[in-house]
Amino acid sequence: MPTDMTVNGEARTSARDPLTPLIDVLRDEFHLTGAKPVCREGFCGACTVLVDGEPTVSCLTPVAMAGDCDVVTIEGLSSCGLTDIQSRLEQGDAVQCGMCFPGMVMTLSHFLAHTPQPNRDEVRAALTGNICRCTGYERIVEAALAVAGGRAEGRR
Amino acid sequence: MTVDAVMEFRRRDARDKLTGRTRYTIDRAAPGMLHAAVLRAEVASGRLVTVDTSKAAALPGVRAVATAADAPGRFGIGVSDHSLFADGQVRYVGEPLAAVAADTPEQAQAALAAIEVAIEPLPAVVTMAEALAPGAPLVHPDWQDYEVLPVGGARAGNVAWEATVVRGDVDAAFARPDVTVVESTFRVGRQNHMAFEPRAVVARYEEDRFHIETSTQVPWTIRNATARFLGVPASQVRVTVPPVGGAFGLKFDVAIEPFAALLAKKSGRAVRLVNSREEEMLTCLFRENAEILIRSAVTSEGEIAGREAVVLMDCGAHGGEQIFLTTMTAHTLGGNYKLGAVRLATRAVYTNTPPNGAFRACNGVYNTFALERHTDEIAAAIGMDPLELRRRTVLGDGDLGATGQVFEGDVLRPMLDRMEALRARTTPHEVDDGRLYGRATTVGTWFVFTGPSAATVNMNADGSATLVTSGVEIGSGSMMQGLPQIVAATLGIRPEDVIVRQADTDAAGYDVGVGGGRQTTSLGAASLAAAQDVRAKLLAFAAQLLEATPDDLVMANGRIEIAGPNGKGFTIAEVAARAQAALGPIGGTGAATRTGVPSMPGCVAGHFIDAIDIPVFAVHDCEVAVDRDTGHVEVLNYRVVQDVGRALNRSAIGGQIQGGVVQGLGYALHEEVSIDALGHIRQCGFETYRVPLAGDVVPVEVDLFEGAPSLGPLGIKGAGEVPILNVGATVACAVANATGRRVQELPLTPPRILSLLLGREPDLALPHIQPAFADNLLRPHGPEV
Ligand code: FES
Ligand code: FES
Repeated sequence: MPTDMTVNGEARTSARDPLTPLIDVLRDEFHLTGAKPVCREGFCGACTVLVDGEPTVSCLTPVAMAGDCDVVTIEGLSSCGLTDIQSRLEQGDAVQCGMCFPGMVMTLSHFLAHTPQPNRDEVRAALTGNICRCTGYERIVEAALAVAGGRAEGRR
Repeated sequence: MTVDAVMEFRRRDARDKLTGRTRYTIDRAAPGMLHAAVLRAEVASGRLVTVDTSKAAALPGVRAVATAADAPGRFGIGVSDHSLFADGQVRYVGEPLAAVAADTPEQAQAALAAIEVAIEPLPAVVTMAEALAPGAPLVHPDWQDYEVLPVGGARAGNVAWEATVVRGDVDAAFARPDVTVVESTFRVGRQNHMAFEPRAVVARYEEDRFHIETSTQVPWTIRNATARFLGVPASQVRVTVPPVGGAFGLKFDVAIEPFAALLAKKSGRAVRLVNSREEEMLTCLFRENAEILIRSAVTSEGEIAGREAVVLMDCGAHGGEQIFLTTMTAHTLGGNYKLGAVRLATRAVYTNTPPNGAFRACNGVYNTFALERHTDEIAAAIGMDPLELRRRTVLGDGDLGATGQVFEGDVLRPMLDRMEALRARTTPHEVDDGRLYGRATTVGTWFVFTGPSAATVNMNADGSATLVTSGVEIGSGSMMQGLPQIVAATLGIRPEDVIVRQADTDAAGYDVGVGGGRQTTSLGAASLAAAQDVRAKLLAFAAQLLEATPDDLVMANGRIEIAGPNGKGFTIAEVAARAQAALGPIGGTGAATRTGVPSMPGCVAGHFIDAIDIPVFAVHDCEVAVDRDTGHVEVLNYRVVQDVGRALNRSAIGGQIQGGVVQGLGYALHEEVSIDALGHIRQCGFETYRVPLAGDVVPVEVDLFEGAPSLGPLGIKGAGEVPILNVGATVACAVANATGRRVQELPLTPPRILSLLLGREPDLALPHIQPAFADNLLRPHGPEV
């Protein structure tokens, strides 16, 4: 049975078996290779996309579960240039191999939208489901705090 | 001419990586591409009776099947003991038996299931103790028939390689009346890289040549190894490398590339092969497990009159990188300190377990752990402060290393002073919460793995330059920051205007590969030479245009001008365009290799590197708190003083230090690999193999130590590999300091800490290391006869 959904604002239909993991539909069928299948068991977060606004590990989500949903991938999030968190990560020289960042950016964008003024521990806790093997996290945490700090500046 | 390439230049690949546009190998596809899969053995040891692929080959969608008959050759870094498929004998769980390519991944899996395999089980040796036991079954019964690189390591049975160092009269040192003898034993487990991008390849066979697109650090090794396995000339193999999604040494050896190449040739189609996470875990090429005995004769003043050590490294079923790494005991366990007399034996031991490989700072990490814990035990034995002992005994200007090389410059001692200053900036953490607090400072010695590199720089008529090398961007940023900075600074252009070609063995000359801290140093030296060649040509041509001599000209900020105020001149683009019209396009080439610092004659046997060209030193310090009830170790703060020679890009180095230290914290505390009695790796993914999370880490305080002598270009040293070097050591010494217990093993998981605290951890005995040094050797130290 085909699955209808909205992907990055566009109506799409997947012809795959309904149990196919969403990440494989996104990558193989729709050629959106930003989300990365790293562990395929829900631990690393590199495959994170937004499903109806919620960060979701697309490796453990059968495509049927995304039926009639609004899916946003890193490609969709970045369609109008860099977001604040992406700019801060770029300026902060945070990126190394880069494989974790599509997922990191999705998680952090959602987190910062819902937690406008987080402290360091809250940022670290928000990243529990997003592993990075390269950077040691510090610059990612700093970038998130810088986005929050920038907002505070803006309000003053 | 002096080049100032120091910049805070941001990497150009960050934007694509942040927006999901980067196309790693796992993101690549080709029209009509097939999907491959590899059938792997499920027993650790056995005689391969049948691999019958006839039913599999007849299944729908199956386009090619390959077995041992298709890959007759053998390969190996020191000993050619590695066949692509099991060659009549199965040696580890996970050893390849056959490979298939089909229209879909599901069809490929179905084909694997249809291959009929019969294996007659044989006894297995799963630990080094078993492998070294008298009468142990041999992992390679035909070890004597293998081709060996002519460097004279002793070999026999399950000892794949034995390297020795002897300098001075160690027996006499131990017999001195004024010495205390301190003996320590250590054991460490394996570490998995957990690189995010698994090993992946897309291969084609076109115009009688293989084109392999792969996630690797070593394009030229892939080229040569594939040719060896498949029995074709190396010139028939082209390797290109897209951005690599993490490597850390995992991708420093050939992996699954030859399977895809073989299947592409057989099917006439492009073939994609990507390891699943389970396969990555199973065939990791881990940092090896090791066992160490170290003994020192030390005076009450801290003078180390004699030192001896035996190091056993588990190479798994193939010698691989471990054969080379036996060399590095001399420069790590034999490093850091002034030694009167010294003898070291390092044995790479075959077992029926998955082969090990290279991992960031390799055996330096556990040798430093052993050496630094041993140093603390010496300090306790002679009643000296551990820091004072280090201050007195670290290598300084003119001191001899273990192999008799002469070290230049006082580096470690001033670095220890700098660490003291760094530590003074923070107040100790101790609070009375019932936890045990401790701290430690350690030192470490590592090196830059120099060796051949080539570079070409093409000056374009638009004022940009193209740098062509076999360098690979694995995440460290060297290809994005260090190398374009060096070329830009030499040519007086902006680093943004240096185009960096991705590795292609058809376009660039030979290179050892990316690893061992060699990228910015070796490729940097070649790139610098190539850029200087271009610079000289442009200056000579501009001098004619300006009726001046090249010495009168300055080349900076995109212009070549006559020196002095209001000097006449041209943009570099103009000079390049005019030169192109008059002489043809301007280009330059550069090459570099190791210079070869001498060791003392007769000191080493079986070594690949007798002395290190570019030593790199590190001083680390941390504080820990140990929970008595849970056994949990919290690292409260962490500090690094790192010898970088000259820092080309401080931000890039800082990122490497934070990342490297955190990988080291995982190694020290919770990254654990265990192998069951049947030779299966127990950890199969992120759920069971615990890497550091954001909540586990601390911001590392960093002080870059500049100015130490370096043979590297512009005085630089590799900076990305060494940050992990002494993390295991520092955490272990701090935990020993906090608990008052003898820390002899890593990782320090909560169960291990609890049994240490409860006194239930027995003193580590290593009965398969003989008490008398000489009894450990296959043959007495000396050249092969
Ligand atoms: S791939 Fe989905 S969480 Fe790791
Ligand atoms: S940058 Fe490599 S995994 Fe995060």
